[in-house]
Amino acid sequence: MAAAAAAAGGVPSQQCFLLSVTGQVESARLAGADQLYCRYQLHGGPDWDIVTGLEEGISQVSRPSQDARQLLVWNLPVEVSYKATNPYGWPQLIVSCYGPDLFGNDVIRGLPLFVPESTSQLQKLVSWFTGRRPELADASSLATGDGRDVMRVRSQGYVTCSFQVVTKDLQRLGYDNGRRAPAGAAGGDLQPAGGGDGRPG
Amino acid sequence: MVRGKDSSSAEVHFIGQIVSGSGFSDSQLFCRWSIQTGGAWHHVEGLKEGQTHADCPQLGQAAIWCHPVDVHYTIKGITGWPKLVVQVYSLDGFGRFDICGYGFCNLPSSPGAHSIDCVIWRPTGSLRDEFRQQFVGGGPQLRDPQLVYTSLDRYRIQTTAMGTVHVQISVILRNFARYGIEY
Repeated sequence: MAAAAAAAGGVPSQQCFLLSVTGQVESARLAGADQLYCRYQLHGGPDWDIVTGLEEGISQVSRPSQDARQLLVWNLPVEVSYKATNPYGWPQLIVSCYGPDLFGNDVIRGLPLFVPESTSQLQKLVSWFTGRRPELADASSLATGDGRDVMRVRSQGYVTCSFQVVTKDLQRLGYDNGRRAPAGAAGGDLQPAGGGDGRPG
Repeated sequence: MVRGKDSSSAEVHFIGQIVSGSGFSDSQLFCRWSIQTGGAWHHVEGLKEGQTHADCPQLGQAAIWCHPVDVHYTIKGITGWPKLVVQVYSLDGFGRFDICGYGFCNLPSSPGAHSIDCVIWRPTGSLRDEFRQQFVGGGPQLRDPQLVYTSLDRYRIQTTAMGTVHVQISVILRNFARYGIEY
């Protein structure tokens, strides 16, 4: 059976492990925020394939709370399952926040914790007037860590995300990530491995 | 595309991020990091060195980098477990950068998620050098950065403490039991 699958060009399922992520982009605390919506993107490496769920999502527009917390709550669900052969390229979550400026255009207000800042003063002035702030052309370029050294940013606040992660067959392939599958699972119910393994924004 | 992988060697994955740097008196900071290993470690994929962006914090005093680290090694021996070596630099208004401090920490050897604080120190010169650095910038730097993570003689230098770099790393080990490696 495995040989037939290999001959057909697919990877036999014995060599894959599954990762299921259930969580949410909870809330944010950003300096000077008014109405913001957020967008999340999940970026996995070349050995990772999505099985179910969406890689991207957009939340509703939220206003900060009236109390001293000034909290922006989105409560945006994130539910994705991956199939992979290699922990390299473990999925990363990129959260971008957008909000209208004075002229009502949607401009980027924050990326995972920071706003890209232009490196010359003139550009900053121009971007304020025309309503275009410098924006990363492709937010998923943040996931690789390459080329960040030319960016200058101003960190503006925090986004809180929480996740639960369940994996299957990771240990059968010989990987040890510090978690143990429940022993003797004949007919028993699986307990989800709690705790966040995603990167809290 | 999902590819099949050969599953016979002992492998280690370090997946995490260089989160932030706190406790520094300068404001625009960036960090140069690298992972140093011994000879028995073979680097398979992932960047093992890099440089974060420069951050100017608005909320609180920590410079937030959130720089992803994802490295994959295969090993032939247990010596030379990797160390994360960091150099923190500060950027001034004129675009010049100056060394803020050096530090290293050992990457964890047990699987799971870990939070590590890497202490940072800076070499100091004479009183005159310190005065000059306050006004003009450009303090003493290490001639050989290997001194940060090796056992080379350090007794000649004087240092002062700077801030801390916070790192979150998850470790995944593969086939260690097959090769009799205990952790």
